[in-house]
Amino acid sequence: MIFNTFPFLLFIIAIFCLYYFVLNENTKRQNILLLIANYFFYGWANWRILPLLIITTILYYFLGLKIEKSKEDKKKNIYTTIGVLFGVGSLAYFKYSNFFITSFAQLFKSIGLQTNLHTFDIILPLGISFYTFRLLSYVIDLNRGKYEVTTDFVAFATYVAFFPCILSGPIDRPNTLIPQLTSKRIFNYDLAIDGFRQILWGLFKKMVVADNIAVVTNEIWENYSLFSGSTLLLGAILYVFQMYADFSGYSDMAIGIAKILGFKVTVNFKYPLFAQNIADYWRRWHISLTSWLTDYVFMPLNVRWRDWGNIGIIFAIVTNFVLCGLWHGANWTFALFGLYHGLLFIPLILSGTFAKKTKIHLTKSGMPKIKDFGKMVVTFILVTFGLIIFRAKSINQFIDYIKHICSSSILRIPKVIGYNNVTMIFSIVFIIMMITLEWLNKDKEYGLNISSMKYRFARYSIYLFLFILVYYFGADASSFIYFKF
Amino acid sequence: MDREKIIAKVQEIFKDILDEEEIELKDNTTANDVDNWDSLTHILLVVAIEKAFKIKFTSKEILSWKNVGEMIDSIQAK
Repeated sequence: MIFNTFPFLLFIIAIFCLYYFVLNENTKRQNILLLIANYFFYGWANWRILPLLIITTILYYFLGLKIEKSKEDKKKNIYTTIGVLFGVGSLAYFKYSNFFITSFAQLFKSIGLQTNLHTFDIILPLGISFYTFRLLSYVIDLNRGKYEVTTDFVAFATYVAFFPCILSGPIDRPNTLIPQLTSKRIFNYDLAIDGFRQILWGLFKKMVVADNIAVVTNEIWENYSLFSGSTLLLGAILYVFQMYADFSGYSDMAIGIAKILGFKVTVNFKYPLFAQNIADYWRRWHISLTSWLTDYVFMPLNVRWRDWGNIGIIFAIVTNFVLCGLWHGANWTFALFGLYHGLLFIPLILSGTFAKKTKIHLTKSGMPKIKDFGKMVVTFILVTFGLIIFRAKSINQFIDYIKHICSSSILRIPKVIGYNNVTMIFSIVFIIMMITLEWLNKDKEYGLNISSMKYRFARYSIYLFLFILVYYFGADASSFIYFKF
Repeated sequence: MDREKIIAKVQEIFKDILDEEEIELKDNTTANDVDNWDSLTHILLVVAIEKAFKIKFTSKEILSWKNVGEMIDSIQAK
């Protein structure tokens, strides 16, 4: 079920009414309702993937209890290892087995050996990358003694399958969500209104900004050999905004829906387009994933290689980012995307600016100072290049795309075909609107957080205007880019 | 070495590595309470502490500390 569709609207209204009015704000009953809602939501697209989620949840629930009850470290480690192997194993099977098979077949072919390997017909369970990461952090942190085990199965299962976040994150840690699930939730007017506002902002980013850009970028990418270098460059730049608006728009909706139900979930984006270097960018982009990887991949490697100085840090960060790339899917382009970002950290590590928190210095008019603006532009260019690798279907296509950009046609005026030129101009206007509001509210949780605005009339005018844009310019409900990861 | 002395010595290491003069460590201090103490500087701190006390922590110890108190416990236990 996609958030910006009619069935979801009916679904959320039904949940909302039952949750607050029928169940009388009784926590246990609310959780049972949420759990049923989670499975209904998850099974809506394809009910056959539901048993895997339920079985996995039961397994980790019992592993958690076993880890907690074991007195010896050795036993704790055994149960944790089972959890890690099962999680990584199911990801490997469902996401990567065909990739390994075709890569091996190609490798053998390149050295002159004929193989008879066949790929499997595997359905990728939706959200598997997201819920597996939740479960892995659960067993690892229990083993590290970071928190106590959850004995309440309904609360645990609701955490794993929490419907606003199961398909595309944010990836909440157990200690963010489980304590909220076991405490009383009464209707909080301010939080709910904040949630609605954030959903509106998410709808605008997804349906107005991202989906209109998608019309243009899809055309450019599908026929890139027909267009001028300048058009391809514009397509690459537009894709950065599309990707951001699509994914952060989804996160805003997910966080907003959770707020209506009385939950505060993890923040996932902090205005990454205003980042001043690549480390800063990753501290602001898909935060729940990067902080997960920091805790469970980068830190253990960094601890292990700590006596190697900078070399150890570099190896740890590059490994971390290659895995981060591959997390997005089974394709060499994603591995290259990760490697590229990992390598971009090297100058920052060597110069010691890696760990330093950046701050945007402003002029009197509230604009960034020229030096900081320059850093933002450089970071944006680096990110754009990375997303060309990310968007390409293969490494060859990526190289081809770059070659086309670097041709003499880079000097022509960028142009697509027919009516899409109008969509392109509208898209640019929408991007400017989004960036302006986000810049003005960059200290707030999200771009439309204008509750402190003095004039109620101005505030409501902005909401109404965004509604009208969503209604008239919102493309049909299309899937979210991050669903396929 | 008694606990007070260990904390004082660790505090000096923190000041030196994090380049911050005003750090006061207590048992319940966490990374959130100290500027510049993040995943990267954490490793620099660990390496410096290991050198200063001539000890070696296990990976699990380092990854399990919830606050300064638990870190001091590990040093004391060596």
